[in-house]
Amino acid sequence: MKLFKRKTREEALGRKGVSELVRLLGKDKVLTEIEDRLCYSYDGTKQKALPDIVIRPKTTSDVSATLKVADKQRIPVYSRGAGTGLSGGAVPLHGGIIFDLKGMNKIVNICPEDFTATVEPGVVTKHLQDEVTRHGLFYPPDPSSAAFSTIGGNVAECAGGITGLKYGVTRDYILAMEIVLPDGSVINTGRKTLRSVTGYDLTRLFVGSEGTLGIFTKITVKLIPKPERVDTLAAFFGERDDAIDAADLVVENTIVPRTLEFMDHMTISAVRGFGGITLDDNVKALLLIDIDGTGENIKHDLSIVERVCKEKNALKVKVAETEKERNAIWSVRRSISPALYNIANHKINEDVCVPRSKIKELLQKVDKINEKQEVYVASFGHIGDGNIHVNIMYTDEPGQGEIAERVVQSVMEEVVTLGGTISGEHGIGNKKSQFMELEISPQELSIMKKFKDFFDPKGIMNPGKLFPST
Amino acid sequence: MKKYFPSKRDLRLKGLRLLMSDDWKEEVSKCSKCGKCHTVCPVFLETHDESSVARGRISLAEALRDQQIVYTGKLRDYVYTCKKCMRCSKVCPSDVEYEKIISALLHGVAENMGIPLLPKIIFRYILPRRILFDTLLKVSSKLQRFIPMKKRGQMRHLPLLFMGKRWIPTLAKKSALQKFRKTKKIKNPRMRVGFFTGCLINYIYVDVAEAVIEVLNKMDIEVVVPQRQLCCGTPSSTMGDVKSSKRLAEENRKVFESLELDAIVSACATCTKSIKKDYLRTLGPSWKHMSDKIYDISEFIDTFIGDMPGVKPLEEKVTYHDPCHLAWVRNISEEPRSVLKKSSRFVEMDKADGCCGGGGIFTIIHYDLTLKMLERKVDSIERSGAATVATNCPGCVMQIADGLASKNSQIKTTHSIQILQEALRESETKR
Repeated sequence: MKLFKRKTREEALGRKGVSELVRLLGKDKVLTEIEDRLCYSYDGTKQKALPDIVIRPKTTSDVSATLKVADKQRIPVYSRGAGTGLSGGAVPLHGGIIFDLKGMNKIVNICPEDFTATVEPGVVTKHLQDEVTRHGLFYPPDPSSAAFSTIGGNVAECAGGITGLKYGVTRDYILAMEIVLPDGSVINTGRKTLRSVTGYDLTRLFVGSEGTLGIFTKITVKLIPKPERVDTLAAFFGERDDAIDAADLVVENTIVPRTLEFMDHMTISAVRGFGGITLDDNVKALLLIDIDGTGENIKHDLSIVERVCKEKNALKVKVAETEKERNAIWSVRRSISPALYNIANHKINEDVCVPRSKIKELLQKVDKINEKQEVYVASFGHIGDGNIHVNIMYTDEPGQGEIAERVVQSVMEEVVTLGGTISGEHGIGNKKSQFMELEISPQELSIMKKFKDFFDPKGIMNPGKLFPST
Repeated sequence: MKKYFPSKRDLRLKGLRLLMSDDWKEEVSKCSKCGKCHTVCPVFLETHDESSVARGRISLAEALRDQQIVYTGKLRDYVYTCKKCMRCSKVCPSDVEYEKIISALLHGVAENMGIPLLPKIIFRYILPRRILFDTLLKVSSKLQRFIPMKKRGQMRHLPLLFMGKRWIPTLAKKSALQKFRKTKKIKNPRMRVGFFTGCLINYIYVDVAEAVIEVLNKMDIEVVVPQRQLCCGTPSSTMGDVKSSKRLAEENRKVFESLELDAIVSACATCTKSIKKDYLRTLGPSWKHMSDKIYDISEFIDTFIGDMPGVKPLEEKVTYHDPCHLAWVRNISEEPRSVLKKSSRFVEMDKADGCCGGGGIFTIIHYDLTLKMLERKVDSIERSGAATVATNCPGCVMQIADGLASKNSQIKTTHSIQILQEALRESETKR
């Protein structure tokens, strides 16, 4: 029997430390009971590690005060938004203090005339999107977790999403940030202007830093005018390569769709029949295309996309006429995640990204894995960006886990050989840190480490993440 | 993790005793911790606290299962913070049946930490005894006239008087069961249905029972009100008193199985959910044949009666509030609207399926959160421009009426069947 210890405040900080935190922040913001710690011990990867103290800050000074104490006593510190990350970024691997930033969820201001909004990190991305829509504005990054993940988490992992091809990723929309450094000092990076080239771009350094450099307390994002409307088209193909060629051809025709999503044969067969979805048996690949803009250009673009798909032997091209049809088409995409468990009950989801011209080669590699029939790999994703989600599905049977890990290794190697990257949008965390050296050369890695040492000389920020363990 | 030796205080080691059936243990593993439940949980949307959402409680259940923690006051608080509206299950991509987990937790809490004395007495000794229950409430209904401060048929909730100004309805002089003891015979009835009243309708909203019977009778349906029916068992199961719930379920099974009925209707969303879904777990698959015959009143009318050519819709603007246990648990949201559209000038409100905050012990323990949810609901209702808000759950009626009364609003709260009742009456007088 292994019982978690109920009270570790003495161990974690020493009684003096906790009482200091309580004095600084107030009792409500300092949680040390096991029940609370358990609730902040995991993220979307299902990994679990217990923090010793949960801090629920409300203001920048709460964060700063806590970090001063942590810095003095060399206690590991983690930041956590909604805990929905897919690379383990918010898991407190080495215990210590975890910040629950969900409580810092105010939209500080929206400036329609400046095209900017300043928010606290705990604001849910969808909430920000909805609020700016009221001003006729648009915050494009749209990870599939947008309805429950926070903007702080999105920035820390540099989240992507389905609108990446046309609008880019989170990184492209962050103008300025207020950041608390590990020693408790507060810095402001960037300016709230649409362009600024004064000095090194510190903001970009912090975007995607996965909580290893500092904690964001205010984030200023760039907004753009909201497209008038969005139309959706689904194209069904009998051959996978046709679908990929069609996707290429769409872009070659100087059409940049808002989204360009792809599903392979394995994914389609998992989705078929799930939640009443019907798909013909001869459909081997699927493209989902969203076009946005004004009514006129959408019509024009749709007709070209339709023609291109038919040129590339599409079995059927369906343009959604109503909102209901649009939802029906997108429900196919949304059902992928749960439906994949029809193949096997464990999933490793790798968000690799390759140059668009190499997608075919990557998928051929996947075919070879599937031919062995040991584990099955379903691929789908943001084909416009070359960001393909490679899902390795395996069962509980002995040996399957090892096979899956081997497959992941070989996929990663292949991706890097093709000139791609091991993470397109989820981040490295601890899940992928072992693969960092595949992609990043020793010299570049050492530069990154020097940055890390500069900002966080005591190594208290999110230890165990990003860098391969030595 | 260092080896831990539990202190004396923690030695509620009964806590490690196995709970109910073990199916919840597997259910816990199904959670992929994606966090999608954040988007719908009415409690989480107010608190932003991971311990008040399904994912957090599932991780607590996981730790209990793996014998890493024991039952404590804090755990009980977190378990009681759940409203059991089951929105989380509805949106869960991994199809976790959260109900199994929360019931197991509640049961565990009850077994290990006990049930407070008053609810325990009510569950074990009063609810299963109809005559005693009747007598107690009869006495209360006589006494309530001495309570000061009444308003539009509502009165101040005494125990809560000091917590805030809460308005609750008065107890009826005669309960629905007594009032409708005799079945009104219908010549060549289309169907013969049993009416499951539920406690709120039986003792407080007798007019809803009257509406149900009157409407169905007019549709040539004979309505039997079985006299020996008891509470559906939801109050006791929300406190984890599985034993009492089971006892009530068995009594109700006897009552309804002995009658030859084409269907069973209820006008309470929670009772319907309880007898249709929860009984399948408490009583096992042998309840299936009865469960299939159980309908919400609007669902029943929409399914079996459909078009009502003789009914002229009321002029009144009516909006509809979706009770959690109907819309989210049972997916019934179209049917009540369809019936309302035929009986009134229906207008939709925004966030119609948002929780009104009512429901059981939650309103007592977390009154502040209840009020926040209620405020959102009242705002939505007022924005809709309706003169009346209808819903299919007496619990919601009570909660919303309280919210509107404390705001001095002129908007009426009613059960949607009462709208149809009125429409039928008016159509008849005009003819």
